[in-house]
Amino acid sequence: MITFIVRRLLAMIPTLFLVSVLTFIIIELPPGDFMTSLAANVGTSGSSMDEMTVNNLRRQYGLDQPIYVRYVKWISGFPRGDFGYSLDWRRPVSELIVGRLGLTLLLSLISLAIMWIIAVPIGIYSATHQYSLGDNILSFLGFLGLSVPDFLLGLVYLAVGIFGFGVSVTGLYSGNMESAPWSLAKVLDLANHLFWPALILGAAGMAQLIRIMRSSLLEILGQQYITTARAKGLKEQVVINKYAVRVAINPLISVMGMQLPQLISGATILGIVLTLPTNGPFFYRALQSQDMYLAGTFLLFLSLMLMLGNLLADIALAWADPRIRLE
Amino acid sequence: MKRHITRREFLRLSAVMAAGAVAAACGPAPTPTTPPKPTAVPAQPTKAPEPTKPPAAKYSEAPMLADLVKAGKLPAVEQRVSDEPLVLKAIEEIGQYGGTWRRAWKGPADFHAYGRLNYEPILRWPRNPKDPVQAGLAKKWEFSPDGKTLTLYFRKGLKWSDGTPWTVDDIIFWWEDIELNKDLTSAPHAEWVVNGKNMTLKKIDDTTIQYNFDGPNGLVVRMLAFHGNQWPLNFERFGAFAPAHYLKQFHPKYNKDIKDYKLFNEKADDLSPGRPAMTPWTVAQYKAGDAKLIATRNPYYWKVDEKGQQLPYIDQIELTLVQNNDAVAALALSCEIDMQFRSMDLRKYSLFKENEQKCGYRVFRWPSAQGTALALWPNQSYAADSVLRDIFQNKDFRIALSYAIDRKKINTITYLDQGVIRSEMVVPDSAFYVPEVESLYMDYDPKKAAEYLDKAGLKMGPDGKTRLRPDGKTLEITIETERTGAELDALQLIVENWNAVGVKTALKTMTRDAFWPRATGNEVQISVWSTDRGLEPFVDPIYIFPFDERSWMAPAYGIYYKTAGAQGVKPTGKFAEAQALFDQFKATIDSAKQLEIGKQLVKMATEEVWTIQTVGMVPAPCIVKNNFRNVPEKYTQDWIFMSPGNLDPSHFFFKK
Repeated sequence: MITFIVRRLLAMIPTLFLVSVLTFIIIELPPGDFMTSLAANVGTSGSSMDEMTVNNLRRQYGLDQPIYVRYVKWISGFPRGDFGYSLDWRRPVSELIVGRLGLTLLLSLISLAIMWIIAVPIGIYSATHQYSLGDNILSFLGFLGLSVPDFLLGLVYLAVGIFGFGVSVTGLYSGNMESAPWSLAKVLDLANHLFWPALILGAAGMAQLIRIMRSSLLEILGQQYITTARAKGLKEQVVINKYAVRVAINPLISVMGMQLPQLISGATILGIVLTLPTNGPFFYRALQSQDMYLAGTFLLFLSLMLMLGNLLADIALAWADPRIRLE
Repeated sequence: MKRHITRREFLRLSAVMAAGAVAAACGPAPTPTTPPKPTAVPAQPTKAPEPTKPPAAKYSEAPMLADLVKAGKLPAVEQRVSDEPLVLKAIEEIGQYGGTWRRAWKGPADFHAYGRLNYEPILRWPRNPKDPVQAGLAKKWEFSPDGKTLTLYFRKGLKWSDGTPWTVDDIIFWWEDIELNKDLTSAPHAEWVVNGKNMTLKKIDDTTIQYNFDGPNGLVVRMLAFHGNQWPLNFERFGAFAPAHYLKQFHPKYNKDIKDYKLFNEKADDLSPGRPAMTPWTVAQYKAGDAKLIATRNPYYWKVDEKGQQLPYIDQIELTLVQNNDAVAALALSCEIDMQFRSMDLRKYSLFKENEQKCGYRVFRWPSAQGTALALWPNQSYAADSVLRDIFQNKDFRIALSYAIDRKKINTITYLDQGVIRSEMVVPDSAFYVPEVESLYMDYDPKKAAEYLDKAGLKMGPDGKTRLRPDGKTLEITIETERTGAELDALQLIVENWNAVGVKTALKTMTRDAFWPRATGNEVQISVWSTDRGLEPFVDPIYIFPFDERSWMAPAYGIYYKTAGAQGVKPTGKFAEAQALFDQFKATIDSAKQLEIGKQLVKMATEEVWTIQTVGMVPAPCIVKNNFRNVPEKYTQDWIFMSPGNLDPSHFFFKK
């Protein structure tokens, strides 16, 4: 098991290297650089920035050097925790991203937890009550959840919050809670501002999990060992929960690895819609203004999170399903 | 020639000097908790009260500062507000202390969101754009008869927000170590350079300084009101002074331990906490990317109201970081904005209006000082196709294009009928407004358009749908734009309109980053932008005549003017005439003569149809909480005037 984890971790290094090179090239692809975008910005709202000023700034911030020099400079800072300098925010990248990546991760994890807590019982109910009214209604809702994109749900939530209840639904805190000292009210406020986005974020994944759980359990329930268990006179509760669900849940674990990327990209868009201080709005803006070190670092960390997530899913599967051999 | 001082200015100056007298005349300083009686007569900003008693200053201060004084942490208010504080006349009434002003902003690239609230230059823009430039940090100024020397007299006893005295050395530091430092500023700004020679500064005493120019500098007074804002080290590199005592410790010239300018840039930034300022509020708490920026009152602010209460009234400003205009609107709709018009979209006006009751705010419509919100420039210095350039240079062709546009429809579709169909480059509130050219060639008249096209020698082709160029090819033009949404719809409408009169038009959309270098690089046939700065166009006259590469009626001519002939293409005819006129404008310090030249330029630019104007003065919704006072309902906003900076945000207040 440990050799497996170590091997997988080592294999990540070349992958990350490739990702970093690709990231850097992709960010460099559009014409112009941060300074051209700045010149446009300044030109519209201030004095003009002539070629000389722009070049001067390029030199100051090292943008005049060839792409490989800039890449090496950027990547060589990583071991020291130096991820470059954000031109847009005029601060080191490391100062900017830590909290935001953490919040993205937190939001994704809460979302994952909510998905599982809601999806598994519903999946079990649907499978054991196949074609009942409840199953049909839940299946319908499931398909709805699958087909409605999360940003749309976010917008609906925004509209309902503002026009329906007249409360603030954007950001992490409402009103002046932000600067208030920590209290139960503040924690509840934060929880309220995290729960709904997490639920929205998980809606599509949840629907998917329900479908998988249902079909997987249905398949298991038709197998002979279940019939045997029932024939032995075991309680239906025990048959389902102890013998059927344990096996039926395995596909869910393997799907988890695939759902992580969806969650993280969903968190980006949802973060923009709901003005959450996740990496979403930041990342999007960094790409727009060609603030390349910030954008590149975000991309790299997101890839890393993805790979780690996949690894964790694999380990969880091996732990839950004794039939799987890692070596 | 001596600088002419009008009666109005004289009164204002005497009002400033009689500051103490006024305060004394109001009797003992009121305690901040008792609500002041509203003034019976509406405030008239231009009329100064008569001094009645000799100055015997008695000032009062905010409760939070009074506590600090009691605790011995701050000197008394009399020692803080300077010896000659500026006495501010209220727009509505004398205010009360307290409160947090909540607003939204979009991060450091949206620097105006903070900077305009803290607009505090050496001289100031007036509240009424038709008035002359006002006193600011400097209480008065005078030109030498030849216009080459400007002497500025500053208020005595001014202090930075950390209590250090402000002196003219702070100007000299900015000039020598920031503006003339090639590592920080690639070249000094044009307004400090006359006849190719940098100005020189001469310190008379701590509060008096002389700016010496090689020739008369007719722009400098405006520039001291405009550039005076303390942004010397933002990317824009604006500024006219800087806190020398604080910044020297980060400047490689004064601190040998520092090798580059990175730290200096960071510390000199307006948003850097701890940087001393002369503004009503200073940044107390902010790190890049923080969800909130908090700025608290400057205890050494040097302005008082007519009762002698030290300004600002409002305790602190809180800017919430958001991603885009939609998020600003969402904040406004959940009642979390106290006063703001920046980043408020007109299209959300009715939404804001519906929430007036719930949130307890008023929604003002503040027209922007845009000649037009959607301007089109046929590029008259277009290099890639000389036949097309000649067509663009033909005034009849430009008139035809103007007649062909259905502006009414554009106003309805894009601007919800809130804009004004107009041709003039400046707005009625401007001192340079010429009523005769308000509405030239603005009717929607395809027949007239066809006549003018025939007159321009562009005959209809054999297909009866498209016209031909003099060289026999089909006349095809391309509009390039970075506009999106409703304004893109308007452009599509213009394309239809032009196609209908036989001018085959294509529309190319792109991002602003892609558009900007193309347009400034003289590569675009027809550029699209808005023409703002319609109150005071001559601070940066890019939309009036070819001034630099941003003058998209002819960027190459603009570059020629900017580089004094070193680059670009030499203009002829009216363009050359306009550039010569502006040279005269710059070379005179006689404001009457400037006004005359300015009006002439505005008239010429409009009559020549260098810019095809559509719909202008589109209002921005301004949300103002019912108890947020001293904000006028009628106001034309513009970035040159640092709106709402010229309304003195320091005297906005929450009425209890």
